[in-house]
Amino acid sequence: MNTAIQIQGVSKVFSTDDGPLVAFGPADLDIQEGEFVSLLGPSGCGKSTLLMMLAGLEKPSSGQIFLNQTPVHSPRNDIGVMFQESTLVPWRTVLGNIELQLELRGERPENFREQIDSLLNSVSLKGMEQRMPHELSGGMQQRAALCQALIHQPQTLLLDEPLGKLDAMTRENIRGDLQRLWLDKKPTVVMVTHSIEEAVQMSTRVYLISPRPGKIDKVVDIEMDYPRNLAVKQDQRFIQYLADIHSVFHSYGVL
Amino acid sequence: MSEKALKRLVRWISESWMMFAFFACFFLLWEWSIDWFEVPKYILNKPSEIITNSAADLPRLMQYTYITGLETVLGFLVAISLAIPIGVAITFSNILRKTLYPFLVSVEMVPKIAFAPLFISWLGFGLLPKVIIVFLVCFFPIVLNAILAFGSLSQELDRFSQITGSSKIKIFLKIRIPFALPQCFVGIKYAAINATVGAAIAEFIGSDQGLGFYIQIVTGNMRPDLAFAGIFLLTLLGLGLFGIVTLVERLMIPWHISQRRG
Repeated sequence: MNTAIQIQGVSKVFSTDDGPLVAFGPADLDIQEGEFVSLLGPSGCGKSTLLMMLAGLEKPSSGQIFLNQTPVHSPRNDIGVMFQESTLVPWRTVLGNIELQLELRGERPENFREQIDSLLNSVSLKGMEQRMPHELSGGMQQRAALCQALIHQPQTLLLDEPLGKLDAMTRENIRGDLQRLWLDKKPTVVMVTHSIEEAVQMSTRVYLISPRPGKIDKVVDIEMDYPRNLAVKQDQRFIQYLADIHSVFHSYGVL
Repeated sequence: MSEKALKRLVRWISESWMMFAFFACFFLLWEWSIDWFEVPKYILNKPSEIITNSAADLPRLMQYTYITGLETVLGFLVAISLAIPIGVAITFSNILRKTLYPFLVSVEMVPKIAFAPLFISWLGFGLLPKVIIVFLVCFFPIVLNAILAFGSLSQELDRFSQITGSSKIKIFLKIRIPFALPQCFVGIKYAAINATVGAAIAEFIGSDQGLGFYIQIVTGNMRPDLAFAGIFLLTLLGLGLFGIVTLVERLMIPWHISQRRG
C-alpha cells in the first residue's frame, strides 16, 4: 500500500496582539491509501486547520505536507472536500449543484449522467434532482453536499465535520451512506469530528488531538470488520474503544 | 393555473381591503374638508377638481412626464452600467480599494443635489445636466452595494471554488455574480426610488420643461390643483421605475429568500 498523505513537522502559528499563538502542532503522521482516518478532538484544537492545510487552503507555519507523493503548496484540485458550512449554492437545484463541481473542473456534466444517478441513488436522493436546496431538510442538504464533493471521484476525500449540524437520527443514517460509499470506491478519507462514537464507527484509525495547542497525542487503530452498522455499537470491542478514548479526553480535562 | 391565480386574487383582496378602504376614506375626508373649512382654491383643491382641471392640461402633462421620465431612466441606466463595473474593480483591486473607495465614501457624504446649480450653470438648461444629477443620486448606492455584494462571498464557497482549480473568470461567472446579485439589487432599488427626486430637483433649479418645471410654474400661478397633478405623475414615474426593477429582480433571482412566496 502507498502512502497517500504524509505530514512532517507541520504546525500552524497565528500572530495575535498578544504574540504568536500556536493553533496546531507540530505533528507528524502518515496516512495510507484507502484508509478512513478520523481527527478527533475538542473544538478549537486545530483539527479543521490541519484539514485545510492538507487541502492547500491554509499554509503551514512550519513543516511539509505530501499528498499523493507531491508537496502541497497551493489549493489542490485532486481531492474532494466537504466543508463545515454548506457549499450548495441557493440558485441551483440539487442536480445543478452537483454539476457545478463538474463545470468548474471543465468537465461536461452529460458525461457523468450515470455517476450522478448512482450517487444520488446511494444517498436516497433519487427524485430530488430538481429541488432547490432550501426545499430540502438539513439531512438531505448534507447528502446533496456529499454528492457534490464526490462526483469528480477524488481519490482523497477531506471531510470537515460533515455531520456536525444534524440531529442524531439523521447522523446515523448518513454515516451509513458515507461508509457504503467509502467501502465501494475505497478512497482515502480524512474526517474531522468531535464525536467519539462517529470516529470509532467509521474509521480504520483515529488520531486523538489534545486541546490548544492541538497535538496528535494518541493513535487508536480500530480493528473491527466493516460494514459497521448500528449493531456494532453493542459489540464489546466497540464499547471498549469508546471507554478508552473517553478516558484520554478525561485526562485532558475536556470531558 | 388560472384558478390558482383567481384564488390568489381573492386572498389578496380579502387581506388588503382595509388598506383600500383607508385610502378611500383619506380622499373622501380631503374632498369634504375643503368645503367644510372653506379652503380657498389658490391654497388647496378637492381631489375631484384636481382630476377634472388637470385633464384639460393633459397633453402638456404627458409631454413633461415623457421628458422627466427620459432624464430619470437615462441617469439611472448610466449609473447602473458604470457603478457595477467600478464596484467589481474596487472589490478586486487592492490599489483601488485604498484610493478610489475611500474617495467615493467621502463624496457620498456630500449632498449630490447641492451640485445641481453648478451643473446647470456649466451645461445649460437642457437634458444633460438633469441626467448627470440623476446619475449622481443613483450612482453611490449602487456602487457601495456592489462593493459589499462582490466582497462578501462566503469562505466556504471561496474555498470550494479554489479546490476545483477553476479559472478566475469561470468562478466569477458561475459563483461570484449570482452570489452578488441580491445585494446589488438592494442598491439598484434604492437608486430607483431616489432617481425621480433627483430629476425633479434638477428641474426646479433650472429648466424649461419637465414635471419639476411644471410644478414650479403652476405653483407660482396659484394653481395647486395642477401642482398636485404633476406630483401625482412624478409619483407614478417613480413607482413605474421601481416596479420594473422589482420585476427584473424577480426574473433574475427567483431563488433568493426575498423572492419566495409563502
